[in-house]
Amino acid sequence: MWRVFSASTTGKRNFDEGAAGQDASDCVVTEDGLVAIVCDGAGSVSEGRIGAEFVARALAEQLSNTQDDDTERLEASIHCAIEDVRNRLADLAASRELSLEEFSCTLIGCVASRGGGCFFHIGDGFAIQQSAAGDAVLSLPENGEYSDETYFVTDEKWKDHLRFTSLPAPERGCVIGLMSDGTAPFAVNRARSGFFRPFIDPIGAFLRETTAPIGNEALRNLLESPRACEISRDDKTLLLAFYL
Amino acid sequence: MSTVIPDVALIDNSDERAPLVLVLDCSGSMQEENKIQLLNEGLKALAVDLKADSIAARCGRVLVISFGGDANVEVIGDWTDAMDFTPPELLAGGLTPLGAAMRCALDEVESQKTQMRTAGVSYKRPIIMLLSDGEPTDEWRQVAAECKTAETAHKVNIMAIGIGDKANKETLGQFSNKGALSLSGLKFKELFIWLSRSIRAVSRAPAGGTVQLNPVDSWAQLST
Repeated sequence: MWRVFSASTTGKRNFDEGAAGQDASDCVVTEDGLVAIVCDGAGSVSEGRIGAEFVARALAEQLSNTQDDDTERLEASIHCAIEDVRNRLADLAASRELSLEEFSCTLIGCVASRGGGCFFHIGDGFAIQQSAAGDAVLSLPENGEYSDETYFVTDEKWKDHLRFTSLPAPERGCVIGLMSDGTAPFAVNRARSGFFRPFIDPIGAFLRETTAPIGNEALRNLLESPRACEISRDDKTLLLAFYL
Repeated sequence: MSTVIPDVALIDNSDERAPLVLVLDCSGSMQEENKIQLLNEGLKALAVDLKADSIAARCGRVLVISFGGDANVEVIGDWTDAMDFTPPELLAGGLTPLGAAMRCALDEVESQKTQMRTAGVSYKRPIIMLLSDGEPTDEWRQVAAECKTAETAHKVNIMAIGIGDKANKETLGQFSNKGALSLSGLKFKELFIWLSRSIRAVSRAPAGGTVQLNPVDSWAQLST
């Protein structure tokens, strides 16, 4: 069974400009499985936050019954779901007489069941599945040549940038983390090979012993702490799922 | 009551770098008006100001290329993190092989980018700052065109700055799509403080955002 905690906070850059945070997350936990999504709306467009919220919610809902131990079929289902959600977002954009690009957001997602699963990813941010022993599977960010350029679900060539990473069957004690790029500088280790253990281990010990409301608040307080804001001025989202 | 998770280490593990190449005129004319000494003092101010900011000190990556002497282009030391940057003591003398120096700068930028990519280190668009008080004494047109092409392709950001009345601003302007700026008086220190603050801004730039640099009026002579 998965226990999920998450928090999204507005980065100092948006806060100073009076703008709302552009990140969003959603998840669905079933008896056997987990669907989790984090999206980071582009700061350079008008409706990035709405795009991120729409994609996260719609995709989590659409994938909530998707479980398949066959990798190809699972990836095909996810591919279709993204295409469908993207089309619905395009309809929303058209109804407001806006272009789809105005709703640009990245996508970091996970479908996990008892037999395994996969990460699916467009753009920056990180996804990590890490065992209690520290073995990790990662989906790394994809940027343009420079770190301030990335790819979005709304891009015309989104299929060229959709990446899948297969996941092993979860073991008791493992954690899956999805995060936007504002969280990664302190949550991921310097070698980019897993979580930064002095960061994740105390969090894991705390969250495993607490309730969802308290855990979510604690996670939010952490992401809003002066030290976290000093490290990154960007919006920050962290979704953690513990397999108990 | 706010809930705090105890004992969480919050350390910046990101390796994002902001490369900077300084291409500095050390020809004989830089001895006049104490320019070379003022340039050296400006470099010291740059080092101090970069190190005073924890993010710029960690993210800034600096290389100094001097040109002068007997058609000599010298890469002074290796690329260094801003926190380890020790300003060189430059000496003036000889010719102005500016074209060869800019060729060297373009090559160094590409080489450094390759190294960083191989190491999985992400980076911002590199900045090349060219400072000269004269005009090239070598072939420069071909490399100037390549500089503009590299800028157009977003490979590098080039700032060309003329020092004093004898700087050929028209020629220097051929190395950047933005043209050339002129240093007001000999405000080297103000220029390098501004540059340090620009590296600070670039180091903090979020994904997908554009960087708003400070105005240049602390050191630039505006056209009349």
